[in-house]
Amino acid sequence: MDLSLTTRSEGDHTIVAVGGEIDVYTAPKLREQLIDLVSAGQYHLIVNMESVEFLDSTGLGVLVGGLKRVRAHDGSLRLVCTQERILKIFRITGLTKVFPIHSSEEEALAATD
Amino acid sequence: MQSVAALPVKETSDPGATDWPLLLVEDDDGDAFLVGELLAETEAPIRLTRARSVREAVATAAHARCVLLDLGLPDSQGLSALESLRAAAPNAAIVVLTGLMDEHRGAEAMAAGAQDYLVKGEIDGRGLLRALRYAIERRATEEAARALQESTLRAEENSRLERGLLPHPLLRDPRLTHVARYRPGRHQALLGGDFYDVVETPDSVVHVLLGDVCGHGPDEAALGASLRIAWRTLVLAGVPEPDRLAFLQEVLVSERTDDELFATVCTLAVAPDRRSVSMRLAGHPPPVLLFPARAALPDDQVGPAIGVLDTVELEATRIDLPPAWALLLATDGLLEGRDGADGERLGWDGVLAEIAAIGPDVTDKDLPELLIDRVEKRNHGPLTDDVAMLMLRWPAP
Repeated sequence: MDLSLTTRSEGDHTIVAVGGEIDVYTAPKLREQLIDLVSAGQYHLIVNMESVEFLDSTGLGVLVGGLKRVRAHDGSLRLVCTQERILKIFRITGLTKVFPIHSSEEEALAATD
Repeated sequence: MQSVAALPVKETSDPGATDWPLLLVEDDDGDAFLVGELLAETEAPIRLTRARSVREAVATAAHARCVLLDLGLPDSQGLSALESLRAAAPNAAIVVLTGLMDEHRGAEAMAAGAQDYLVKGEIDGRGLLRALRYAIERRATEEAARALQESTLRAEENSRLERGLLPHPLLRDPRLTHVARYRPGRHQALLGGDFYDVVETPDSVVHVLLGDVCGHGPDEAALGASLRIAWRTLVLAGVPEPDRLAFLQEVLVSERTDDELFATVCTLAVAPDRRSVSMRLAGHPPPVLLFPARAALPDDQVGPAIGVLDTVELEATRIDLPPAWALLLATDGLLEGRDGADGERLGWDGVLAEIAAIGPDVTDKDLPELLIDRVEKRNHGPLTDDVAMLMLRWPAP
């Protein structure tokens, strides 16, 4: 299984749409993408997880690492996810208390919390 | 440890049977012609390609099984051509060509990693072919010896780490039994960072730890061992249960090699009368009760894994237990097995169904292995991640 990544800008936000499996083999690709964006001065990221089929602990680590990087620049990292099995992973790992999770890109873009 | 037979040795080279690529690095057209003629007379099916300089050779060396290298090239000095070729074609055998006057350089080249040397003008076709063939065999043998040494070192390293990760529990209560199993993931070469421990304190409370450093490899395994020993020390030193995970996070943050590393942890404190546990979950799946009923413990109080946030605030969940019980703790390697080749991840629901299918007659000692086997069968292959399991049983009075 592979990982697909596409990015686009929306105002001062960058939306990263992720598809496929984020696991120990593919997570480095996502890490690189997040590091590149932060290096390019993009500190408000929205990661759209709607097409993600699987997420393991390495993938969670990459998302947490991304959150730390943008927070170091007073930025934000929001997730878009409505898939129950992915939401469940965030729930059982206690990360719903760490990431703001939204049900659509519009909702994430409008969020100010 | 791998057996020698399984080591990644290049296929043996039978020059009579294989069309093997030989790279001749020679600037002198006359000498190159001579080598071509010598090989042609043997009728061996060699694919000869030629480079006139080190630069040209480096660009084409990657596919060569053997390199025949003249040391007196225009763009090389001393043994620099040999070094460049060894770097460009690390698996190829290298045979050096020297002149009659500088035969000593052949010996120097062998000390620097060439497999053999030949003196120009002293060789015939059959001799040349035999030298190339021996050089390839010698190179394969060297490679096998190197791989064997690496695999021996790795096995020693793994068993050292495994001793650190999987300890002897400090348990005095003879009625409370435990079984622990650890199985490395698909890439058996290296351990992951799963760890557990069991410590009974003088007040008869039994403290249990099971955790998983995210990621795989020696750094994660070493960090897992550090966390286990840190936790054991905190328990033995009498640090109250609610404070331990905050200290454990401090240890993790100061010892980790990478900011992204975090660890999921489940801790239990089994009360002296063994009729209740206090459970804390840091990003970790809850244990399951296997007996009398099969059910996962509640996970609504789960907090983030340690190493994620700056502070650790984990609520304890108190769970009352029946007079006799069995609990199973596992890392997510077990729960992330698939249900079928493209299926959903099993989770505790899928794993509990497998435990039900195994039935009640199996001993605690055999259950973890049987369970992993069944989960792997359902996964259609070995599990990707490491699996650590810890089973605790309190028998009926």
